[in-house]
Amino acid sequence: MALGDVLVSERLHPDYPLPDLDDPVMRPFWAGAHEGRLMQQRDRVTGALHWPPKPLYWKDGRRLEWFQASGRGTVYTYVVAHEPFLPAFREWMPHILVVVELAEGARIVGHMVRCTPAEMRFGLPVRVVFKRLTERVTLPVWEPDR
Amino acid sequence: MSDGIDRDLFRRIQDRVAVVGIGHLPFAKDIGRPIGDTAVEAVQLALADAGLEAEDVDGISMLEMERTHEVSIARRLGVRQLTWWDKISYGGGASSATLMHAACAIATGMATTVVCHRARNRGAKTSRPWAQERELVTDDKALHVPWGLIRPVDVIGMWAHRHMHEFGTTREHLGNVAIAARRHAQRNPHAMMRGRPLDMETYLAGRVIGWPLTLYDCCLETDGALACIVTSVERARDLRQPPVLIHSVAQASGPNPVHLANYNNCPTMETTAKWCAELLWQRSQLGPQDLQCAQIYDAFTPLVIMGLEDYGFCRRGEGGPFTEGGRIELGGALPVLTSGGGLSEAYVHGFNLLLEGVRQIRGTSVNQVPGCRATLVTGASGVATSAVVLRRA
Repeated sequence: MALGDVLVSERLHPDYPLPDLDDPVMRPFWAGAHEGRLMQQRDRVTGALHWPPKPLYWKDGRRLEWFQASGRGTVYTYVVAHEPFLPAFREWMPHILVVVELAEGARIVGHMVRCTPAEMRFGLPVRVVFKRLTERVTLPVWEPDR
Repeated sequence: MSDGIDRDLFRRIQDRVAVVGIGHLPFAKDIGRPIGDTAVEAVQLALADAGLEAEDVDGISMLEMERTHEVSIARRLGVRQLTWWDKISYGGGASSATLMHAACAIATGMATTVVCHRARNRGAKTSRPWAQERELVTDDKALHVPWGLIRPVDVIGMWAHRHMHEFGTTREHLGNVAIAARRHAQRNPHAMMRGRPLDMETYLAGRVIGWPLTLYDCCLETDGALACIVTSVERARDLRQPPVLIHSVAQASGPNPVHLANYNNCPTMETTAKWCAELLWQRSQLGPQDLQCAQIYDAFTPLVIMGLEDYGFCRRGEGGPFTEGGRIELGGALPVLTSGGGLSEAYVHGFNLLLEGVRQIRGTSVNQVPGCRATLVTGASGVATSAVVLRRA
């Protein structure tokens, strides 16, 4: 399936800022990403999306559920980052950082792959790609939905 | 039924607590001394300015990002004893809040004379926090850092770019901010960028850091140490300087806050500053139209444009055009960053903006706005922030 597309990072820089997979609030997001699913959280009664996600001990925590999002969205805003940058990201310069507005409505930070700065524009349709950083960590990233 | 909370308590602070002394060391790329040392010297300068002694001090308010200890500073100064102290979080959001906390302590009798200060050594490249990510990324930072959204310039660039897209704000508008700050710095002997004027052609040719932001959109990285002294208006009467009254002051996180990178607010371009402004003006008998100049927090040029909107000098989306025709330069309707600000004087988490606000009210700025009776000093938009309106007695 196209949305299960996985990029593998061959040589991860030792200083790469990896996420804490054991954070109880974010755990379903990272676990889903590692299985090729972009996860989002919603209130099962009102349908309201929660991003950033809420903890289960939130006042309406029992109504929270995680679900697989479509993995599609549009570019809400972006920045094309140049040097000086963190050594861990140098192989991807210029690094296109993006805020994607998901089809479901939330806005999520990511970066672009298989895309040049010249292709970037506001409202550009994008789709999720999964970038395997380590044996445990996979990052949802974005490419133009061509 | 009453909840027992006196919401009129702010009247005990309004115009009844004053900044009575200011001081700072010369700004530098490398100050060559630890901040535990420079902080104390800056406080001594501020005390001398006020005509007070270390023995008069019983409170300290500072930024949580400063790695100095209250008791060490107090001991080195010669303070008899501290009865009140605190550290305020969120870097650039905190400077004005030091005055608010000091004013609360004085109004409630917890302290009589409070030192507010910031010492910061950040001139060296290796000292930048974003160059020091090592540990697993937790909490709010996990929402943006693993993708490489780490440098503040990129975090702010996201807002700036959207602002340009949504409202037609241009690179020239951002340039107006950089050029105004640089122009003001030319008359400030302490400004790092004195002697290095900036024109629009040079601005537009600036090296790209994170498009749409370039070199001249970014603040400096500076070593500095600054302090001010706060006490009651009654005590201020016997002191050396005319008191600068704390008229209104506020701190606000906004709803659903995320440290720095929250792009999920609605309406979308709304930052924490909008919420801070609402409280600030609610508590104030003055409004934006009553101010003769403003020190709007300027880690990056777009923050000034968005700050002008947030604090009500113009409507949402009109911050860009507001900068046109010299309006924000000395001689214009609302000069901003009259010392050069973080862009051209020194970047010390906006504490220099506080000192410049005080000088404008005293009438002693190198870029004095004639007849300045009231001014605004703001903290960083985006993070949990603070702002203060200072006025003449």
